[in-house]
Amino acid sequence: MNLFGAIARSIRLKLMLVVLATTLAALLVAGVALVIHDLTAYRQSGINDLLAQAEILGLASAPALAFDDAKAAGESLVLLKAKPEISSAAIYNARGKPFATYARAGGAVPDFPRLPETDGSRIDGNHFVLFKRIAQDNEILGTVYLRADYKWLQRLLNYLGIFTAVTGLSLVVALIASVWLQRVLTKPILATATVAREVVEHRDFSLRARKTTQDEIGSMVDAFNDMLVEIGRRAEELSASNRSLEREMAERLRADDERAKLNAELEQRVAERTAQLESANKELESFSYSVSHDLRAPLRAVVGFSKLLVEDHALQLDAEARRKLDVIQSEGARMGTLIDELLAFSRLGRKSMQMSDLDMTELARSTFGGLNGQVEGARVEFQLGALPRAKGDRVLVGQVWANLLSNAVKFSSRREKPRIEVSAISDEREHVYFVRDNGAGFDPRYRAKLFGVFQRLHSASEFPGTGVGLALVERIVLRHGGRVWADSRPDEGATFYFTLPKEQVHEPV
Amino acid sequence: MSQFEQVEILLVEDNPLDAELTTRALQNGGLANKLLWVKDGQEALDFLFRDGEYAGREDSAPRLVLLDLKMPKVDGMEVLKAVKANERTRRIPVVVMTSSQEEKDVAQTYDMGVNSYVVKPVDFNSLAELARQAGYYWLAINRTPTP
Repeated sequence: MNLFGAIARSIRLKLMLVVLATTLAALLVAGVALVIHDLTAYRQSGINDLLAQAEILGLASAPALAFDDAKAAGESLVLLKAKPEISSAAIYNARGKPFATYARAGGAVPDFPRLPETDGSRIDGNHFVLFKRIAQDNEILGTVYLRADYKWLQRLLNYLGIFTAVTGLSLVVALIASVWLQRVLTKPILATATVAREVVEHRDFSLRARKTTQDEIGSMVDAFNDMLVEIGRRAEELSASNRSLEREMAERLRADDERAKLNAELEQRVAERTAQLESANKELESFSYSVSHDLRAPLRAVVGFSKLLVEDHALQLDAEARRKLDVIQSEGARMGTLIDELLAFSRLGRKSMQMSDLDMTELARSTFGGLNGQVEGARVEFQLGALPRAKGDRVLVGQVWANLLSNAVKFSSRREKPRIEVSAISDEREHVYFVRDNGAGFDPRYRAKLFGVFQRLHSASEFPGTGVGLALVERIVLRHGGRVWADSRPDEGATFYFTLPKEQVHEPV
Repeated sequence: MSQFEQVEILLVEDNPLDAELTTRALQNGGLANKLLWVKDGQEALDFLFRDGEYAGREDSAPRLVLLDLKMPKVDGMEVLKAVKANERTRRIPVVVMTSSQEEKDVAQTYDMGVNSYVVKPVDFNSLAELARQAGYYWLAINRTPTP
């Protein structure tokens, strides 16, 4: 196991390491200082002791030297037995000859220096060496030589032993202290971490870390709990808004479903209706086909044979018979026209429209010009204002103008000064075009009947016509998404309005 | 059989009254001398391709076919199709004379190669005038390739 990794991951180990390292460092520094101090003191005190001893020996042996009493000097030296650290000693006389010597009992026979050295002390390996002059009344009597053990290594080893023991003891204490510290410091941290993990696992923001101390860890626990409160509040808000979103979503989905269902139903109905319309259209087509063929053939026979009757048997017919045959022919011809117009009207509903941008002024002008040839339009006063352009089928809108203008010409033909005015007004949605004449007009009570097929407000003898024209106009305008209406009073002229939308609209079915 | 050699106009019309009126109209225009009326499409095909009751007739083609569209058994469209599909008859001018004003009938017959399409008016004077004009145009004015 990687020790550094373990330390990096554990506050407990870090704490322990700090405590141990601190203890060890303190002990080391203290120990080294102590040892240095002690060894210095030991050396100094050893030298001082020897110096004092040498003074005493000098004083004690001065008379012996003075009297050359070697025995007495030797007895003074024997007293050194009380000082076991002194391994050997000697007294030299003034001439530098050894006078008396001493060696520690049990030791090897010492090697005394042949001549005394000058005053002073020195360390010779594991020994102190000291020479001291013996003087009396400024007369040098001799020299004391002392040699004592200098046991610094012994002392050092002793100290090391003590140091080791103290260090061991200190470390044990430090270990105990760190275990206690761990309990005090890391336990709340670990407890907080456990709570955090539980919060994450169970998404329970109501959990709280227990605060056991009032120190920095305590305030961290407080901050952690505050954070949990805040997160819990946010989570609550979030889930509340989520719930409402989900509700909304569900409602929307339900609405979408319903809409889709409705749409499907609608489409189905449209499809059904379209199929019905198509089949109705087909029926209408075959109906109009048979009308155009089967209805016209007998009519042609009626008209044709009454004509042949007149041609081939004119001599056998009197005037009244010929008049009645004329009626048959003219009415038959009129019925033929009616059938033709009815067919044109029904075809109009089926014809597809080609929408284009129409210059309505030009269209109205050219349509009126086309009428001039047929009708007695030359004496009509025709006022054409500037008309707004419109979107529409050129042929169909042209038919609208043709019908309205020819009606205006027809119904104003009995005036002395027939006048036709064409103009338009626009609002934001549509253009309103109108054709005004000063003709016969109509009774506004029958306004609703104006645009019906075969509906006429004037007799054919008064004004010729089949009653299809305005029905055609209405049908065309409706297909373009517009409206038609008319305004009039009898004998005061009539105004016919039709609108075309500015925006192209879908053709109503 | 030599009577059919003379046939210049073949009138195909199921309605005898219409046929009579048309014949009368052409007569008025002096064009009905060499006219043969057949009463339906099948008879028209028999005549044109010398089949059925016309099996033994000499090989000669009319100069003009006036063709009604709506007829029992074989209708005008089928006659037109057969005439224009056959190499020997394709050059005979065929004028459809019908009561139908249907745009799709006009388009369809033109697609099949009809030479003219006229709508029969109800009014006899108009019909007579129209028949006279058509006959005159196709028999006198118009040039056809020599058979």
